[in-house]
Amino acid sequence: MLKSIWELFNKEDLFECYQCARCTGSCPAAMVMKCYGPRETLLRCLNLGQEAVINDERVWYCTTCHVCEDRCPQEINISELLTAIFNLAAQRGNLPEKIKFGVDLIAKTGRSLIVNEKVLKDRQKLSLPPLDPLNIDEIEGILKKTGLNDAIELS
Amino acid sequence: MTPKKVQRKEKEEPRIGVYVCHCGLNIGGVVDCARVAEFAAGLPGVILSKDNLYTCSEPGQELIKADIKEHRLNRVVVASCTPRLHEPTFRAACEDAGLNPYLFEMANIREHCSWVHLHDKEAATEKAKDLVRMAVARSKLLAAQEPLEVPVTRKALVIGGGVAGIQAALDLADSGYKVYLIEKDPSIGGRMAQIDKTFPTMDCSICILAPKMSEAGRHPNIELLTLSEIEGVEGYVGNFTVQVRKKARFVTDSCTACGDCVKVCPQVAPDEFNAGLSMRRAIYMSFAQAVPSTYQIDMDLCLNKHGIIACDKCFQACQRQCVDYSQQDQILTLDVGTIIVATGVDVYDPTPLTEFGYRKFPNVITSLEFERLINAGGPSGGNLIRPSDQKIPKTVAFLQCIGSRSKRSNIYCSNICCMNTIKDALLIKEHWPETKILVFYIDIRAFGKGFEDLFQRARREGVSFIRGVPGEIIEDPETNSLTLIGEDTLLSQLYRYEVDMAILSVGIEPRKDSPVIQRLLNLSCAADGFFLEAHPKLRPVDTPTGGIFLAGCAEGPKDIKDSVTQASAAASRANILMAQGKVIVEAITAVVDETLCQGCGMCVKVCPYSTIREDPETKIAQVTQASCAGCGTCVAECPFSAITQRHFTDAQIFAQIDAITEEAPETKAVAFCCNWCSYAGADFAGVSRMQYPTPIRIIRTMCSGRISTEFIEYAFRRGAAAVLVSGCHIGDCHYINANHQTEKRVNRVWKKMERLGLDKNRLQLAWISAAEGNLFARKMKEIDEIIQGVTPEEIEKTKQILVPKKKGKGEGTEPKE
Ligand SMILES: Cc1cc2nc3c(=O)[nH]c(=O)nc-3n(C[C@H](O)[C@H](O)[C@H](O)COP(=O)(O)OP(=O)(O)OC[C@H]3O[C@@H](n4cnc5c(N)ncnc54)[C@H](O)[C@@H]3O)c2cc1C
Ligand code: SF4
Ligand code: SF4
Ligand code: SF4
Ligand code: SF4
Repeated sequence: MLKSIWELFNKEDLFECYQCARCTGSCPAAMVMKCYGPRETLLRCLNLGQEAVINDERVWYCTTCHVCEDRCPQEINISELLTAIFNLAAQRGNLPEKIKFGVDLIAKTGRSLIVNEKVLKDRQKLSLPPLDPLNIDEIEGILKKTGLNDAIELS
Repeated sequence: MTPKKVQRKEKEEPRIGVYVCHCGLNIGGVVDCARVAEFAAGLPGVILSKDNLYTCSEPGQELIKADIKEHRLNRVVVASCTPRLHEPTFRAACEDAGLNPYLFEMANIREHCSWVHLHDKEAATEKAKDLVRMAVARSKLLAAQEPLEVPVTRKALVIGGGVAGIQAALDLADSGYKVYLIEKDPSIGGRMAQIDKTFPTMDCSICILAPKMSEAGRHPNIELLTLSEIEGVEGYVGNFTVQVRKKARFVTDSCTACGDCVKVCPQVAPDEFNAGLSMRRAIYMSFAQAVPSTYQIDMDLCLNKHGIIACDKCFQACQRQCVDYSQQDQILTLDVGTIIVATGVDVYDPTPLTEFGYRKFPNVITSLEFERLINAGGPSGGNLIRPSDQKIPKTVAFLQCIGSRSKRSNIYCSNICCMNTIKDALLIKEHWPETKILVFYIDIRAFGKGFEDLFQRARREGVSFIRGVPGEIIEDPETNSLTLIGEDTLLSQLYRYEVDMAILSVGIEPRKDSPVIQRLLNLSCAADGFFLEAHPKLRPVDTPTGGIFLAGCAEGPKDIKDSVTQASAAASRANILMAQGKVIVEAITAVVDETLCQGCGMCVKVCPYSTIREDPETKIAQVTQASCAGCGTCVAECPFSAITQRHFTDAQIFAQIDAITEEAPETKAVAFCCNWCSYAGADFAGVSRMQYPTPIRIIRTMCSGRISTEFIEYAFRRGAAAVLVSGCHIGDCHYINANHQTEKRVNRVWKKMERLGLDKNRLQLAWISAAEGNLFARKMKEIDEIIQGVTPEEIEKTKQILVPKKKGKGEGTEPKE
């Protein structure tokens, strides 16, 4: 069990941040969800501690696209910090409903979106091949290996 | 005092006086100084031992002097701060009282003890005792020495003709010395000639620089060598011989700069002086105010190659017949006593930061390009125009810290770009008051005299300062206008600003060719690549190499005022040497015992200064005393112990090892540190109060090249738990490359330990620069862990089996009683 996000991310690295905001200025999630930004997330970790972020649903807007850390002048692995936050938050059960729904869906169907009639019709219109059913056992195996079961309780 | 008396004193029984300094609370607050003094009093040979508040103070020094006389002391040991600080002070005091200064020894119980063990007073006191024990043991074996006097040539060389080099050359020339001013470009002037106005006063840059340039050009004491670079340097403080390549100019001195030749030249290339924003011909003058005011031909561009004349248009055009295609490079040999390095800086190239689109979007330019655009003598005649459509921009953005303060480029603050941007913003406002100006910054550093005023003025004149650098710049391909996307961190709000032009406020960085200068002059560089000064506060323009000084941005980013100040300081330091007309070479040189030398030539091979010669007949090694730098590398290499380093003898070092390992050696590590880098790094850790474990005991040598394999093995045989050998980084050795020998020797011991089945991890090799106090502290923690892991069995086994090789060892490889 994780006790602290600093087991997964070196806290020392936070001191390198001088709040230039080049990360938030690059973040596609921040462009869409104005309440979120990696710069502020990092500052909260540093000044307010991990509790200030693991209970904060906003962090889940991050798509772990890595653009922020690609551009961070201080080479801070910002997405790794967010991954650490996700892990601890998930273990504590602080998983937003929507995320949990998505994870459940993957576990059950192997896909992150619901495949309904409309989707299939759209595919036909775009002359995409029909979707083959997935091997759920294999997916379950993969999820187990990645430790997802330890992190969250699947329904 | 005559040498004879010294001889007699040497044979006397040691009468050692020990002074343990409290340094106020700096040492006394941690180390129990009275207890250390009491301990010292019990050491053999010590006849008096005292602790006092400030030993370096006048009364402190007077006390030592009085004691020397009253108690007939023939050795003095002071336990206080680093010898790098006060050794000269105490040596002078000893000399005053008639004691040869080489009979003085110091124990560093401040930087290496009290300051780094603030929270463990007991262990710190124990360590201080050990350090004193080491110093006393060494002091007994010290011998009086007479330093050598070497004459100083009263001529100076200044490398680099930027504002710093010009100032240094003028100061020295005005003091009456002959100065060679070497500039690699066709004209002197440097960066300052390229910039338009100067902060914080907003003076016209070339207007204040040009008079200085002409003065340097016509000064009777200055020989200006442009298009010239140094290719070789030999010698030592006061006596350098420098090889200079003066490249062919292909235009003779009779050129009157009429410019008739330029019009006819068919060949064009981007003009470096205008940052590539305009074109120049193959025959050209870099800028109107150039000194010397002579044209030159860029032979890489000229149609005439390898002596084949394909074009003679300029030759025909020149009425005075100054064009000479057959000119050759000249190699000059200059004898000088002092050298000032003023090679300045390059400007960061932001091309790798693809998110800002420099070179891709025409309207993203650098601050240097801006200087040329806004300058009346520049390519646009002083009009700030957008490169894409030559229109005057209505909205301009500045992006700060580009290429500075970043692990992706240079980690330091470039010092000038904040103020430069504020200056640039005000310049735009002056010419086009309606322009909207946005400055995107992280911190505005307006720390100098007059800087804050200028910053406030810019704000009042309507320049917007927005805290938060854009994440990216995107371009509208139709209009070539730019959109900046980012976050205003003070408002926690995202922004999108559309601007006509963006200026990247680029940092400054060491010259690309500075490693060449570093190697030729045997200088050290700090981690950031700038040349390292001998001491950051007290010897800020000296280099560790005697007779060589630093001026201007070559030492670190700075503005014009600081460059000029430093240049005058460097000139003054050089002046002092030349005015004295002689230097004293420290009596730490290598001396050969001809009766022991077998003529094997090993020492000749390792001497970084090629200062050892074999006698052609006897093959016996001979060391030129004046050019021996005193690294001791040959001493450690000699298989017959035929070479001794004065003041750093084998016997003295063995005595220090003995002292360390006298009590509980299994809890201690013996560290060998070189004076210039790793010892200084340890000092720096102390000054910065970095806390680390107490087991380390440092033996100082001038160079890590002095450390013989015997020292390492002896320390292990005496039961030390670990040994550290440390020196300057490879490439940064203060003695050119002596640390290569260090590396080889440590490798030899590692191999031997491996062969004997010993834990080779107990021998550590670390390259630590004078600036890397943190690295030193980290290494100390590592070594502490190693000590914790060593078993008594391992130590015992090492003692038994790590025996010296039997063959051909002379005396001195093992401690003599
Ligand atoms: C865009 C920009 C704007 C600036 N604006 C201001 C300002 O407004 N106010 C201010 O105070 N400062 C300003 N500065 C800083 C100022 O330019 C520097 O402080 C100053 O130029 C440093 O002078 P220097 O002589 O040390 O170096 P440089 O000006 O770089 O001169 C070094 C000289 O040495 C020569 N050289 C280099 N290597 C060799 C070699 N191996 N052999 C021979 N010659 C060599 C070079 O060709 C050059 O001529 C600005 C800098 C930049 C980049
Ligand atoms: S880009 Fe890096 S340094 Fe800048 S605010 Fe983000 S994390 Fe901090
Ligand atoms: S990794 Fe997350 S925080 Fe970073 S840019 Fe992508 S979405 Fe934003
Ligand atoms: S000879 Fe060379 S420099 Fe002269 S005009 Fe021809 S190309 Fe130009
Ligand atoms: S001077 Fe200003 S812009 Fe330049 S690196 Fe320092 S803080 Fe950044």
